[in-house]
Order: sequence, then structure tokens, then C-alpha cells
Amino acid sequence: MAYSDKVVDHFNNPRNMGSFKKDEEGVGTGMVGAPECGDVMKLQIKVQNDTIVDAKFKTFGCGSAIASSSLATEWLKGKTIEEAQKIKNTDIVQELNLPPVKIHCSVLAEDAIKAALADYQKKSDGVLTDAK
Amino acid sequence: MDHHTHSTAAPRELQMARSMCWHCQSEVAGEYFCDRCVKVQPVSKEVDYFTCMSLPRRLTIDQRQLETKFYELSRAFHPDFYQNKSTAEQTISLGNSALLNTAYRTLRDPIERAEYLIGLEAGSVKEIRNSPPADLFEEILELQDTLNEYRATDCTSETKSTVLAKLQAERELLEQRQRDMEAALQQLFIQWDRLQDRAEATDQARAERSRILKQMRENLSNRTYVKNIVSDLASTIG
Repeated sequence: MAYSDKVVDHFNNPRNMGSFKKDEEGVGTGMVGAPECGDVMKLQIKVQNDTIVDAKFKTFGCGSAIASSSLATEWLKGKTIEEAQKIKNTDIVQELNLPPVKIHCSVLAEDAIKAALADYQKKSDGVLTDAK
Repeated sequence: MDHHTHSTAAPRELQMARSMCWHCQSEVAGEYFCDRCVKVQPVSKEVDYFTCMSLPRRLTIDQRQLETKFYELSRAFHPDFYQNKSTAEQTISLGNSALLNTAYRTLRDPIERAEYLIGLEAGSVKEIRNSPPADLFEEILELQDTLNEYRATDCTSETKSTVLAKLQAERELLEQRQRDMEAALQQLFIQWDRLQDRAEATDQARAERSRILKQMRENLSNRTYVKNIVSDLASTIG
């Protein structure tokens, strides 16, 4: 099975690879794994005034998993929290032209986005409660 | 599923025993052949691999018994023996053989057997998906960075040998961890089988079943992560 050009491009030139400090202000971390194939994905967002100003990822897995998370970080940048919630795995499948056997990679990326957003919200809620 | 009462144990056997022969429409009481017209019967898709191989849903199985059953059914279903039969029978023979091969391959391997059994039983266990082991993930991602560093550095440089030593140490630790996980899994298999053998339908037994299934699921997925990084290590540092 051949990877699509877009997957190859993201795999060879991954965007936004790396990480933020977990406890840094405004950072949300999503860490997910696919127990079926053993892929691991960490996706982080940096939020200022409800907008995602930066995103980073680290992925241990196949080319499609790396491309899915690379693409996700690209899409996240500049989006508001609300807009980011709307990213669906099917959007990733379409953009990267993923074959059926690799759809779970896009699911993993969506899960990672959701987990990062949830982590950010949990953290910011915590700040609010502490301030009271 | 209970095994000690007739009312609950019966339906599973019914699927095979009380079906109607596709050819002569008489009731089929035999295992895979009609008693009246002796035509081969399709193995129902509903039949699980354990039932197909006449094995209880246990995790330690008698390999000899599995093999014997496999050979017996292989002979009964093999397409070679159906070359002069009707198209319908040929189709059944092919379908049955395919199912039989998959059943045998799945049950032969202890890990695949456990994965399959959890899949079968998962219907009765809520929330079987575990929360991700964050520590393990961090470790894997960190190790991957070191691996990339190793791949990127010049073969002759001193850094390379330092990184290599670090990776080798990590590999040994991870391989030990994989062995520990497999030992723990073995213990869970034994616990599951004991519970199956007792066949109790109490709330306590049900809770115990859920616990074991969940722990097995967790152990198996953690093992997959560890196995993946170990094989990545092995292919990089040799």
C-alpha cells in the first residue's frame, strides 16, 4: 500500500514536532494510545485569550499516525477552543487521503485533540477556582 | 455466561444442533453433517472459535486436544474432498475451512486467544477500555527522541557510543518489563480459568470476572506498547 503524497510530505517534514512544558500556563496536554497497534501520540496546545496560539506533537507510530498529528497541529493553530472542538477525524482522513486500514490513526489524532482541550479546560477551571 | 444450568447453557448448543439441513430440511442433530442426507452443514457465523473447537472458554488449553480437533475437522471440511460434489457443498466446504483455519490460528497463540476471549466477553464488561498509561507513554516518547538522536549522529563520534550504551540499558529494562507483564498475564489466565471452572453466577463472581477481564485488557495493551518500542530499539541498534 502506498502512502498519499500528503502523508509522505508530513512524514518527511513534520510540522510542529516537539513539546511544551506540561505545567506551563495555558498549555493543555493530550496523551493517547491505540492499544491495537501500539501507537502513542502526545499533542499539546498553548492557549491565550481562548485562542490556540501554538501546538506541538510527538508521535510514536506509523507514517499515517505522524501525518495525522502533524496535520492536526497545523489546523489547531489560530483556532478558538470552540472551533478546535469541531475538528473531526473524517476531516483528517479526507485531507490525507487515508485508506480504510489507517482510519484509526485519524481517530487517534481526534482523541488527542479532545484530550488536550479537556486538559486545558480542566487546568483553567482549576485556576479560576483557586482565584476565588 | 453460565455453564451450570441447562436453561442458559442450551442456546449456544442449539445454534448448531437444532438447525435445519439446507438440503433435505430435516433437523440436524449431528455436529457438522446432516444425519439423514449426510450433507455437510455450514458452521454458523455465530459460533465462537471455542465452541467450534469443542473447547471451554478457558485461557490455558490443551494444545493436543486443539490440534486433534483441528485435524479432524480439516479432514471433514477440506475442499479437496468436495471436488465431485455440488456447488453448494463446495461453497460450504470452503467457508468452513476458512473459519476453521482462523479459529485454529487464533486459539493456538496464547496472546491472540486472550485477545479473542476478551472480545467475546467484553459485551458483559462495561468500561473495558482503560485510561492511557501516561508514564509509559512519556517514557516511550522520550526513548524515541534518544533513538532519533542516535540515528542522526555520526557513526564515529563519541556521542554515538554514549547514546548506544543508554539505549542498550533501556532495552534490557524494557525487555525485563515485557517478561514481567507476561508473567502477570499468566497469573490472570490462571485466575480466569479457576473462575470459569467454578462457574458461579453470584454477583461476586461477576465482579471478579470484570476485574480480571479489565486487567487482562490493560496488561495486553501495555504489552503492545512495550513490544513496539522494543522492536524499534532492536531494529535500530541491532
